[in-house]
Amino acid sequence: MFSRWNWVACGFCLVLNICSPDASAGLVQSCGHIIPESPVLALGSNFTALCILNESCLDFGNIYASQIIWKIKNRLVPKEQYREINRTVSSVTFNDTSSLATPLTCNILADGQIEQNIYGITVTVGLPPEKPKNLSCIVHQKTVLTYVMNCTWDPGRHTFLDTQFRLRYSWPEEIFPDCIPKDVNNSCSINDIQFFVNTEIWVEVTNALGKAESDPLVVDPIDIVKPLSPQNVSVSSEVMPTALKLFWENRISDAVMTLKFNIRYRIAGDTNWMEVPPEDTASPRTSFSVQGLRPYTEYVFSIRCMKEDGLGYWSDWSEEKTGITTEDKPSKGPPLWRIIDTSHSPTSWTVHLIWKALKPFEANGVILQYEVTIRDKSSLSSPVRKYNVTSTNHTLQLPEGTYEVTLIARNSAGASPPSVLLIPASNSKAPVKNLRTLPKHDKLWVGWTAPNSYVLKYVIEWCLVSSSSDCITEWQIAPGDVQGIDLKGIKPFKCYLITVYPLYADGQGSGQSVKAYLKQDRPSKGPTVQTKKVGKAEAVLTWNHLTVEEQNGFIRNYTILYKTIDGNETVVTVDPSKTEYTLSSLTSDTLYTVRMMASTDNGSRTGPDFTFTTQKFGKGEIEAIVVPVCLAFLLIVLLGILFCFNKRDLIKKHIWPIVPDPSKSNIAQWSPQVPAKHNFNSKEQMYPEGSFTDVSVVEIEADDKKSFSEQDLKPFDLLKKEKSTSEGHSSGIGGSSCMSSPRQSVSDSDEGETTQNTSSTVQYSTVVLNGYRDQTPVQVFSRSESTQPLLDSEERSEDHAGGADSAAQRQQYFRQNGGQDETNTDRPCFERTKQITHVNEGDLVGFVQLQISGQSSQPLGLGMEKITQEAALSSVLQTCTEGQTVRPETVEENPLSVDEMPKSYLPQTVRQGGYMPQ
Amino acid sequence: MAAADSPSAALRRRDLCSRGIRLAGKMRADVVDLLDAYVEQQGLDASASVAAMEGVPLAAVERWDEQTGTQRLQENLAAYRAFRALLAQMLEEQREQLGEAEEGLGRALAAVLLQVSAFAYHLEELLRLESRGVPGEEGDAPPPPPRLSLFEQKLRGLGVLRELAQWAVRSVRDLRQLAKPSPAPGAAPGLAESP
Repeated sequence: MFSRWNWVACGFCLVLNICSPDASAGLVQSCGHIIPESPVLALGSNFTALCILNESCLDFGNIYASQIIWKIKNRLVPKEQYREINRTVSSVTFNDTSSLATPLTCNILADGQIEQNIYGITVTVGLPPEKPKNLSCIVHQKTVLTYVMNCTWDPGRHTFLDTQFRLRYSWPEEIFPDCIPKDVNNSCSINDIQFFVNTEIWVEVTNALGKAESDPLVVDPIDIVKPLSPQNVSVSSEVMPTALKLFWENRISDAVMTLKFNIRYRIAGDTNWMEVPPEDTASPRTSFSVQGLRPYTEYVFSIRCMKEDGLGYWSDWSEEKTGITTEDKPSKGPPLWRIIDTSHSPTSWTVHLIWKALKPFEANGVILQYEVTIRDKSSLSSPVRKYNVTSTNHTLQLPEGTYEVTLIARNSAGASPPSVLLIPASNSKAPVKNLRTLPKHDKLWVGWTAPNSYVLKYVIEWCLVSSSSDCITEWQIAPGDVQGIDLKGIKPFKCYLITVYPLYADGQGSGQSVKAYLKQDRPSKGPTVQTKKVGKAEAVLTWNHLTVEEQNGFIRNYTILYKTIDGNETVVTVDPSKTEYTLSSLTSDTLYTVRMMASTDNGSRTGPDFTFTTQKFGKGEIEAIVVPVCLAFLLIVLLGILFCFNKRDLIKKHIWPIVPDPSKSNIAQWSPQVPAKHNFNSKEQMYPEGSFTDVSVVEIEADDKKSFSEQDLKPFDLLKKEKSTSEGHSSGIGGSSCMSSPRQSVSDSDEGETTQNTSSTVQYSTVVLNGYRDQTPVQVFSRSESTQPLLDSEERSEDHAGGADSAAQRQQYFRQNGGQDETNTDRPCFERTKQITHVNEGDLVGFVQLQISGQSSQPLGLGMEKITQEAALSSVLQTCTEGQTVRPETVEENPLSVDEMPKSYLPQTVRQGGYMPQ
Repeated sequence: MAAADSPSAALRRRDLCSRGIRLAGKMRADVVDLLDAYVEQQGLDASASVAAMEGVPLAAVERWDEQTGTQRLQENLAAYRAFRALLAQMLEEQREQLGEAEEGLGRALAAVLLQVSAFAYHLEELLRLESRGVPGEEGDAPPPPPRLSLFEQKLRGLGVLRELAQWAVRSVRDLRQLAKPSPAPGAAPGLAESP
């Protein structure tokens, strides 16, 4: 119980110690303290602190040194750094003070691990001051009598401590007050400076860790003075036009120091200073005459000073003062040139004399007037003409000849040397050679090779070449001993025409010209190309040259780029002098896109695209095709006519066969095998196979046509249309008579339409056997729709009367049909006939039946017909499928049975999707 | 004289002479300026004549050209030491009379006082180079001046400055004489030189 009370009392005591450490010596006694108290330590050094416990606390609170722990701020110091010296003293050692921080506290770890603070100290870590280096001083003159010495030095490293710098100076027997820097640590200014005594100056620096001094600087302050610059500078003109005199006041007395000076000057407006030789101004003075200046030129002067022996510093430059030299007579004559206009009259010249105003350094004053003198060299007796001019040109009329023009510029000081120009009758002397140009930054250098003769001078003319305005000539004169000059004021990307004339003592050489650019660029636009002529495989392109303003440089070449829509681009390079080019090897009937590019040394520019289409046929190709075809056609027609003419009798017989007159028929001889009913659709029914041997064509007089009604005539109108359609599909060339035969039969029918358009019409079929040239004779099949019974005997007689050839053909026809012994030669005609016959759906039924019978569906070889008449066939097929209403016969009224079908070929209708005999 | 025993000593002597001449010249200029300011400040007449006063060394001397170099240096040193004391007293009196209000005059007086001290240092160095002992200051110290009235103080100040200006001129001549190349042994002293 007692020990607990004892511990509590001790804890209370410790808390008091912590809360009021300053009272340790007062009312409350501390249980310990640390030595050293608030030390200042050098950075990087080692440090040992001791914590000493009071004896009283040992007895009262059972506190011993072994319980001491050290802390830096709140961080525990490792116990390896502790050492228990005795039961009341514990030490802690730091090998490097850089690890230290504030505060460093001594604490007790009492029973129950309660940590109690005993004492704490503040540790300051820093560096001792370094020796100040590089001490230097300068005495600034502030007023005439006031001097301030300012000294600067290198303070060295930062010490992290409060460090005092002081500048000290002394005479051997006099110590002056220290100069304490304010707000800085590297400079200080001393006001009460005395000259002519060597003064020792040094810097002292001190802090808690030490003291250092700089090396002393021993100097007489008069040797480090920077004086004030001379004042009240003035400039006055001298009698000589090349001199000006300066006056000034020094602001330091000779008793203090004697001075030397620097004088600088420049031409007003120029930035480059010139300086009077220093040795000319190395002695004390208050004025100086500057010579070697240009007449009538404004100069700016400035002056500075320093101690005569060169010790110390130069003052600042004084304020600038200006002065103008007096005028002198012009140093040279104005550059003179002429432009001779002979356009009005070759024998009388308009001479424009032009000259350049002298430059200021040549004029040496204000030019009051120019005196122009003209002497006719070809006539010594001619008076000398004199003109006083104030401008820089003069125009006069002179007869053709040789003149000497003299020009003098005059100012208030006198006249210039004369400028002489010879105006010759012609420029017959040798020109310069190898004229060339070379850009140099913003100038254009023009160079040439001098002629062999001695040249007084050269005249260089140049002008800006323009397509819209005249060339405004500028000119310049160069001495005769140079072979090149720089032209100024030349604009980039502009073309200049430069001409160089050599001037000799006795005349003038002819000019040599060259075009030049200061700087080139790519053209501002590309050429616009178009076609002049377009053929099948070639196209002639034309374009205009770019204007000189658009060129921006020398056009080195044109490039033509052309391509088809989907083809690769072809590039052609063209000489820049050309304005036309022919593209060859083009593809006919093709769209081409062409564009053109102009190139200078610095780039290219492409013009707009242009498109053209090559022609399908070349020149003469159409004529070469059409003319032979026409000739061939004419020849064929001619041959056909001749053939028909030779065979006119036979043709006539077949076209207009002799039709037996029924009125002359003999009933006794006519014994119909079938009842006379009007089944005209199927003569095969009427005439079964093998029951007849021939068919006659009934010729009906045209007059009979009128006896038919309109209704009866309608089918024939349609037939007329079909006729014309079929004719349209005919090639007309190479067509055989087989082809034309059916149409011919229609035509025939047209002529004999009365015979075929009534129910009582007797239909006849006629087979015309004929051949074309060496081909197998073609069979013509015609069919009669007559319902009248034919008299066998009459028919036979008619056939016989028609000629043996006709009869043979017909027999051959029917024999082939009847015996099914078809040949390829026969089949085409028959097939053709079927194809141009149009039937309706009902017709097809009949044909299907025919096909079932198997008699008429035997395939026939296409043979020659297929080859020669393919085009015609397709035409006919097309016609049929379009449903044209050619209906020469109708079969639906009385369809036949299979047994009743004759074993012969019948004309069949070819329709799309229908049956077609093979 | 044993001045030119070594080249370095000769250079040192020449340098001291040159610097002393420049210092005396500047001192004279500053004293002249100070005289104007003093007369104006003290309300005195610039043309007022001041009788010779006790304790103020006089620049005028008979047979100046017959003096030896050491003699010249010693007379100069004694005079400037006296001026140093007089100027220090003037500066103290000035501060007592005008306080810190007239800093310009006080600063000018202090500057002249410094120059006098510096010149005295130059003379001592030259005497050392001449291998002559520098006389002790205590023995030459003037007796304390009698207590003067304010006007007498002003007049004495005027007289001190005027005499100092004269001494500055004489010192320049003395040092130029010393700076001349040493005459051959046994030769007569340098000829008289106009200031």
